[in-house]
Amino acid sequence: MAETYTLPVGPLHVALEEPMYFDIKVEGETVRGLDLTAGHVHRGMEALAMHRNYFQNVTLTERVCSLCSNSHPATYCMAVETLAGITVPERGQYLRVIADEIKRVASHLFNVGIMAHLVGFDSLFMHAMEVRELMQDAKEGVYGNRMNLGQCTIGGTRTDIDKETARFLRGQIEALKPQLHELYGVFEKDPLIRTRTRGIGVLPEAEARRYAVVGPVARASGVAYDVRRKAPYATYEDLTFEVQSDTAGDVHSRAMLRLREAVESVSIIEQCLKQMPEGPVKIEGMAAVPAGESVARSEAPRGELVYFLRSDGSDTPQRVKWRVPTYMNWEALQVMMAGCQVADIPLIVNSIDPCISCTER
Amino acid sequence: MLPFLKIMVKNLLKGPSTDPFPFAPAKTPKRFRGCASHDESKCILCGICKHVCAAGAIQMRAAEDGSGVEYVLWHNSCVFCGMCAHYCPTGAVTMTDNWHLSHLAEEKYTFCETSFVAFGECSQCGARIQPRPQVIVDQLGTRSPDRFLLCPKCKRESQVKHATDKNLIQLREQQ
Repeated sequence: MAETYTLPVGPLHVALEEPMYFDIKVEGETVRGLDLTAGHVHRGMEALAMHRNYFQNVTLTERVCSLCSNSHPATYCMAVETLAGITVPERGQYLRVIADEIKRVASHLFNVGIMAHLVGFDSLFMHAMEVRELMQDAKEGVYGNRMNLGQCTIGGTRTDIDKETARFLRGQIEALKPQLHELYGVFEKDPLIRTRTRGIGVLPEAEARRYAVVGPVARASGVAYDVRRKAPYATYEDLTFEVQSDTAGDVHSRAMLRLREAVESVSIIEQCLKQMPEGPVKIEGMAAVPAGESVARSEAPRGELVYFLRSDGSDTPQRVKWRVPTYMNWEALQVMMAGCQVADIPLIVNSIDPCISCTER
Repeated sequence: MLPFLKIMVKNLLKGPSTDPFPFAPAKTPKRFRGCASHDESKCILCGICKHVCAAGAIQMRAAEDGSGVEYVLWHNSCVFCGMCAHYCPTGAVTMTDNWHLSHLAEEKYTFCETSFVAFGECSQCGARIQPRPQVIVDQLGTRSPDRFLLCPKCKRESQVKHATDKNLIQLREQQ
């Protein structure tokens, strides 16, 4: 048997330039096993959440992660609203869905863009980011910030989409659609992308179920699990969309699935803009939170996000605990990386769209 | 490579898509959440902005002589979430579209917006009450403008007086 040795990868610049440390056992160029070491960006956010009142925590949870920065406060607000018995007005629910889907498009485009960058196809990376810029401009124009939308608040949403803003948002979407289509074609057909990503980092369905992976990683391996469909929240029940799934379970299929999901999200935003009823976007006043416990979950761009909240009746939560999608996905790297080449490590890590700042918080 | 070549040529002909800042102003959307701003003429010192501020960027220090409150908004602590502006009942705190926040390191401890909000005076007994700026009187105190400017004690007395006067009139009418 050939000699194996340990190759340290990280903590910086594995794929997303977020700190994650891998001890990779290699035999020549082939990966034989790996150890994950996390904890480089632990910020103690759950403890911070216990020292801030319910309203301050909306802002705090928004800053857990930049790419799913709407999913976190939205799910946190859902947990608080369940506990306080608040019903969010229908228009507010629709506005939350719009914010969530805009973030999803931007997040997925970012991930496939980074994949092109890791393949070495930097001009495609630049182009994907340029396409994503349409959504970034939409966020800035509608919500006032390119990453932290500040849309959710306890009992509804903070900004309304009036006629003028809706027209602007529709314009951005119309400009995005053909570009997204074109981008899909490039990622699907380009020989460079195909050679580097097809058949790499395969996660078979049985393993996907065993590791209980979530989000696009699960769906690309044939587990069509989507919280938006399995346990509809907000107004997802009234919206038509298809849960994307694939059976290949490799790096390429995960990227393609993300692009297809982005297309679905665009159609969801369009439906929302069309169906949204008139009316208030939030409840009147500031509600008090009684003692008790509640759980809320939603589909973040990376998969299922769960929030647990316990209140003792004061204005500060006794405990807020969240489980992020990446936590479920990164153990599955053991399967995906087994037998891969050293050069494919960043590609595989990126294909689970890891969010280290979410996971370590 | 071929499917991408078309896009590349198209992008090449399109020219740069970045703003030529600082040689020309960068475009800023109307709804942009930039530097927060406090208008002391509308402030009623309710403190909700401080309550919802996750960053602790807002300080309210009582003046030593008890004449009012010094309101300090630290731009360097602010995270631009806009919760203060959202929950401010009178629109005293707003998010401007100003994102030009670079400053010298020596200005670090002075880079804030400080304003003094004086307490109001009860129009009857002169006791200290929350500020009653004219804009707020016009907005909230239109139902009984006289009573809006009273301290809680005088307000209670005036209400009792009002009620007894009404009762007396009713009694007289009955007699």
